[in-house]
Amino acid sequence: MRKSLTKWALTGAATLALAACSGTSDEAQSGDGEGTIELAEFPDRPYWGDTHLHTDNSVDAFGFGVRLGPEDALKFARGDEVTATTGAQAKLARPLDFLVIADHSDGLGATRRLYDAPRLGVQAMGDETMLRWYDMMHESPQQSQRAIGELISAAAAGTLPEAMMDAEANEEGTREIWETHLDTLDRYNEPGVFTAFGGFEYSLMPGGNNLHRVVMFRDGSDRTKQVLPYPGLATTPEGLWDYMDGYAEATGGEALAIPHNSNLSNGDMFELTMPDGGPMTAEYARKRARSEPVVEATQIKGDSETHPFLSPNDEMAGFGVTGWELGNLPLSAKTSNDMLAGNYIRSALKRGISLEEKLGVNPYAFGLIGSTDSHTSLATGDEDNFYGKHTGNEPAVEDRANAGQNLGTRVGRFGWHYLAGGYAAAWARGNTRAEIFDAFKRREVYATTGPRMTVRLFAGFDFSEEDWDGDWVKRGYNNGVPMGGKLVDKKQAPTFLISALKDPDGANLDRVQVVKGWVDQFDVVREKVYDVVWSDMEGDRALQGNKVPKVGDTVNREDASYTNTIGAPELRATWTDPDYKWGQKQAFYYVRVLEIPTPRWTLFDAKRFGITLSPAAMADAVAQERAYSSPIWLTIEPEKGENEPDAPATMDEDTDA
Amino acid sequence: MSAQVSVNDKARNWLKEPLVHFLIGGLLIYAMFAWRGEPVDPASRTIEISRADRAQLSLGFERMMGRSPTDAELDSQVKRFVREEVLYREALRLGLDGNDGVVRRRLSQKMDLLAAAQAETALPSDETLQEWYDAHPERFADASQYTLDQVFKSEMGQAKERVASLNSMTKADDWKGSSDPISLPASLSQMPRKEVLDRFGEQFLANIDALKPGKQWQGPVQSGFGYHAVRLRALDVGEVPPLDEVRDRVENDWRTATIEKRKERGYAILRDAYTIEIAE
Repeated sequence: MRKSLTKWALTGAATLALAACSGTSDEAQSGDGEGTIELAEFPDRPYWGDTHLHTDNSVDAFGFGVRLGPEDALKFARGDEVTATTGAQAKLARPLDFLVIADHSDGLGATRRLYDAPRLGVQAMGDETMLRWYDMMHESPQQSQRAIGELISAAAAGTLPEAMMDAEANEEGTREIWETHLDTLDRYNEPGVFTAFGGFEYSLMPGGNNLHRVVMFRDGSDRTKQVLPYPGLATTPEGLWDYMDGYAEATGGEALAIPHNSNLSNGDMFELTMPDGGPMTAEYARKRARSEPVVEATQIKGDSETHPFLSPNDEMAGFGVTGWELGNLPLSAKTSNDMLAGNYIRSALKRGISLEEKLGVNPYAFGLIGSTDSHTSLATGDEDNFYGKHTGNEPAVEDRANAGQNLGTRVGRFGWHYLAGGYAAAWARGNTRAEIFDAFKRREVYATTGPRMTVRLFAGFDFSEEDWDGDWVKRGYNNGVPMGGKLVDKKQAPTFLISALKDPDGANLDRVQVVKGWVDQFDVVREKVYDVVWSDMEGDRALQGNKVPKVGDTVNREDASYTNTIGAPELRATWTDPDYKWGQKQAFYYVRVLEIPTPRWTLFDAKRFGITLSPAAMADAVAQERAYSSPIWLTIEPEKGENEPDAPATMDEDTDA
Repeated sequence: MSAQVSVNDKARNWLKEPLVHFLIGGLLIYAMFAWRGEPVDPASRTIEISRADRAQLSLGFERMMGRSPTDAELDSQVKRFVREEVLYREALRLGLDGNDGVVRRRLSQKMDLLAAAQAETALPSDETLQEWYDAHPERFADASQYTLDQVFKSEMGQAKERVASLNSMTKADDWKGSSDPISLPASLSQMPRKEVLDRFGEQFLANIDALKPGKQWQGPVQSGFGYHAVRLRALDVGEVPPLDEVRDRVENDWRTATIEKRKERGYAILRDAYTIEIAE
């Protein structure tokens, strides 16, 4: 008897301990940060962050075994040392500037609450399934993962236990967790030093097709406490956008949504039609573009830039595609080639400009970022510090590269298909919620697959080589538009100022490419990849025919090491579109920066733990990491209110539309 | 039926309202079991499956399969339940929980959590925070700030020459043009340590930390980009802001440290009661 009482007391204490993170925070920390710090004249440096981190408040993350909460996640991201769930001490060599903790809105904290509840309490609820999951979670990490596998399947199949679905009963619990969480964020939000954003993940997944979004708020708890995270179960993205609009209207705040893992959506993420199959309306397109200015292009569950099937002439296509291309998220349905165009970002950008021709508005005018989607509470994006997709494959699981996954292993997905995760870079004038959020809003952001390259991009009509001699950044802003911007066509080929500086502690750069997509005068949507600058381009790597010779490979496979004896620390170019023709319609241009080949996390694992990678994993153990800038659009007609005040008048020449 | 609903509601309240309800609920259940004379000791050798238990198993099956179990299926559910319960109790009796790393770790974590619980919720007094702040000023100091000029060269040899020629320069102002092109600021004015780290990298920062501030050009200093002639004009070691400005950080720090301390103290007390013998 005493035993059961002690257990109750223990559980109570645990719950209290988890609930007791609220405290005071001053006004600068709890607002949007406007007016709290001195701002630079122009965005003068990229701020680094992760907009997609799960903690033990996420149903699945908790079930997979993570026992670190938002507070540890925040500490880790800002550079403190924390103890990972599996016991190792973990600290980021280079802290992040901002973080969005994006726990699933569905069942926010539900597994943790279930876990913390007294067993008799769970028993009294009379649900055998919940009790079984409860016991499995307490039994062992392996059982816990199995329980959560069942839970995800039940969610996808719509057979979750009633008690977990009961919105009314869950609301109070959700509100308590949400409000405590928002208080915690405010305490860690330090304008000028570290920004903690409120947010959540909206996890809509009809039939297993991934339509997930991360929702990110511009505001502090004074506003965000007025709402609860929007559920993904039995809702639609349009409902989410309505919710965001409602939030803005009611509070005067702002929110945006970031779609991710379009690669696992079986074509549903970027459709040409309405979700019900009817022709897309301008209203839908406008709403979508306004609500979703940024898309997550790369993360642990693969890279969504493009697929070799869609971009057969792009030699560098297909990074982070293997394994993920097989099917939707839980691999309950396979992906066929006709679905790919709705899965990948480059084709979505192309669909966007072609839809704009018809609708007058581009639903897919989005910028690009990378993030982790880590379920370990640890925002690690580098190959040499990969903490795993979830706690079940933290480094303590030594053979994790060869091991199967929980998402469709039997049909061919393995541990080594995971990427180490990416980061988001935001060009902002200072490190506050308002400044970084606004950078997302105007798409002045870019994605990397982990390394912290500095990527600048400006487009205009009168840039030249000489600009590099002076303050070219200032000239870029004054005489052109930065990444994410729109340039109005002036019957003249646009010129770009492009600079890519290597990660100071990372690998040299191989090359910088421009990816152009456009609707030509015959209404055909086209794409082309240009090598615009590369290392040693006047020496050993002078063009051979039309081809840039490969940069080489210094990776020592036994040692998981490489040397910066090839490549360049910085690549710069003034580049004018050689294929521009007046009469082409909407177009976009984005920059892709490639590093020299470096070891992937799998190779580091092989060395650290002395394991032998499978031949397939070994063949994929070296990769060229990359950055994707947000596009700049060359538009025919300026959209009201979206151009710079000094934008030139509209060209009204007939374009045989 | 209504009784069932009220138990449900109560359970939900417990889920929401932790300790107080747990304890009251615990006492109630204790009283109930005591009154009914039911054994709750997991090592007991009587397993009773009531009609209610059977109904629950049946319901569980229904939820999973979408239909009621047949009699045979329900029997097998019961059998499975009994099997689990027997094996669970016997496992406890045999002390198998003691040999299981997962069980051991889980239980010891719970002990730690229990020891730390008070510190998680306690609101420290002003005096406590003041003491903590006075005892660990270095933890709340502002970041160091770097004021320096740098000229970049991709080759070591050129950088060496550059250091020498910069030091023999007469005009104070024409040093900037002698840099190889690189998108890094030539002059930093009181740049916080973290930003120097972000923009120039770990290697550069470690090398700069070895320099003494002065008017001379020094180096070359190596970074991930190449080599830099550096004039470290000033290094402001961060000062400690007044307590009011860093109160939250002090409280967070105090809490983290106190939790650790309580765990250790709790352990030490228990540990003292043991004699440990470790074979050579």
